[in-house]
Amino acid sequence: MARAFVAGPNFSGRSAHLMARLRGRAPGAAFFIGPYAEAALSGLSSTVSDEIEIYRAGSRPTRPVFSPIDFAAYAARKPPTLSGGEQVLLALHCFSLSRYRTIGIDTALEQLDPANRAQALAYLSQDEAQGFDVELIDNRPVSGWPTITLPGSGDFACDLAAATATLQNRAAPTITIERLSFRYSKSRDIFTGAKLTLAPGCAYRLTGPNGAGKTTLFKLLAGVLAPSSGTLALDGAPYAPWRAGNRLFAFATQNPDHQWCGTTLGEDATRRRKALARHGIVAPTDTAIAALAACLGAPSLDAHLYELPLAARKRLSWLWPLSGTLPWIMLDEPTVGQDIAIRAAMAAAIARVCACGHGVMFVTHDEEFATLIEHRVLRLENGTITA
Amino acid sequence: MTPNGAIVFGLLVIGGAVVARDLPSLAIVLALALIFGLGSGRRIVMALGWSIAIVAPLAGFMGLVWVGIVGGAPDEIGAGTEGSRAAAAAYVALISLRLFAIAFVVQATFLRFADMTPLQFVRRLSMPALAKKLVVLTLSLIETILYAIDRARTALIAAGIVTRRPSPRNLRNGWLLVQTVWLTVVTIAIGRTRDKWPTEETLALIDGTLADATPRRLTAIDVAWMVVALGSLALAVGMR
Repeated sequence: MARAFVAGPNFSGRSAHLMARLRGRAPGAAFFIGPYAEAALSGLSSTVSDEIEIYRAGSRPTRPVFSPIDFAAYAARKPPTLSGGEQVLLALHCFSLSRYRTIGIDTALEQLDPANRAQALAYLSQDEAQGFDVELIDNRPVSGWPTITLPGSGDFACDLAAATATLQNRAAPTITIERLSFRYSKSRDIFTGAKLTLAPGCAYRLTGPNGAGKTTLFKLLAGVLAPSSGTLALDGAPYAPWRAGNRLFAFATQNPDHQWCGTTLGEDATRRRKALARHGIVAPTDTAIAALAACLGAPSLDAHLYELPLAARKRLSWLWPLSGTLPWIMLDEPTVGQDIAIRAAMAAAIARVCACGHGVMFVTHDEEFATLIEHRVLRLENGTITA
Repeated sequence: MTPNGAIVFGLLVIGGAVVARDLPSLAIVLALALIFGLGSGRRIVMALGWSIAIVAPLAGFMGLVWVGIVGGAPDEIGAGTEGSRAAAAAYVALISLRLFAIAFVVQATFLRFADMTPLQFVRRLSMPALAKKLVVLTLSLIETILYAIDRARTALIAAGIVTRRPSPRNLRNGWLLVQTVWLTVVTIAIGRTRDKWPTEETLALIDGTLADATPRRLTAIDVAWMVVALGSLALAVGMR
């Protein structure tokens, strides 16, 4: 039994290499965890307990069970409602209960918080003792694993320095959050009376374990969710994006495919421009958008988004945040699926955005990336936000 | 009660509701559905609420058209007799109660098994393996669509293209939501069928999960409910 770490920059063909290796085995011999939920979970279950049941090989597991969180407490939840990290943990849990002798993981471990990631890697390192093979793609260093390194192709070249070079100075408002409470239907409290003040010109990193509510806070601030109680204010003036719409945050989601408003970048830009105009916000012209998209590696505004590789789509998801159109930006796991060179450039871009007077909120489980950015930590735990 | 028994009962009640031509016969069918629903305990309240929510808009619209504007029942118009608002109201009540009975009994049937997960429910059904797999795939598609709706809505709200609450903007841009949902569904389906399922042979894997070791025959309770449902169906036919 063996493990292999497939290394290389983005667009070096790592995913294709991994799939070829997995399919080279006997049919149905390999378990696969893709970069996002659609390729991490079976999609055949309506609840977490059903997902586990599908993969459970029998009443007695054939190897130690990987169970970093109490899945019994999640039994009735719909798998897509779990956070990205929780979905990866669930997939690993299912593998540990299954009869599969091989597991292939395509950058999914990047969504795990440091503690869970360490546990996952420790579990996968038992390959010889437990009799399974592991094929892993990851953009963060994994020490002690036999490595296969693939050369880069140079496709979709991304220049984040050029993308942020034309950012104009602006004075973003101070955000004040008072007594914010929120819970999902039939679920535990995510926030209970949370208080927070966010000053412009700073980068704030939301931290907390998988499922603490980091993405939920982003959705509340973007007006996608409405709090059960609490207020928001911009420079002291009341602001309720869940009623009036979002005119504050440019939001880059963890999975880039969660934010497209069109089939092409051009269509997406046209629709967003119209929506922003309702708030009196002037969005960049098509020419400016095309120039910015080119810096992010887009071949043209007319390219079908889903025909681009996932890592390229992830970079294009930064287009609106880096355009300077809105005063605050939110980046949810910006480095997931991105190689080391892009992570360093992204850190520099965030610094540039802050220097121009914008405010930045970001979530990352990539400690190395976080150390590259001057930031303040906001800790989410037990329904509160601690600065 | 077994899932098969409950489904047969539900189909018989739906049949009774469809053939019932007047309010008394429909009342019998409805009473039977309500008694059956009591077996689900408190959840019955939610089922009643949903059934009312489904039927109320149609009932309101039909009331407006037939009672308010036409002022007569379709039978009266067909017979060329002078119409009355009372007959129109009875007609609207019959159609609305029929729809209510159907909506309610469908929920009541599945609420009987609310303690089971969807996979456990399908496993306990007595039907060919292929049919079970098709049921699971259908449920999977429904879940995918629901997830895609949530995902597309999130994207469009965050971009300010639609709003969280009902608004004229949503009416104008509703088609964008539909387009985004279908694009999302197709993308998710491609992601699964290209990578996850062929690598794992996930669809073959669920054969074992859906196989029920113990054959499930209809129980005495199943038969009792089915006989009562058949009785109400016969009554509804007889009263035509």
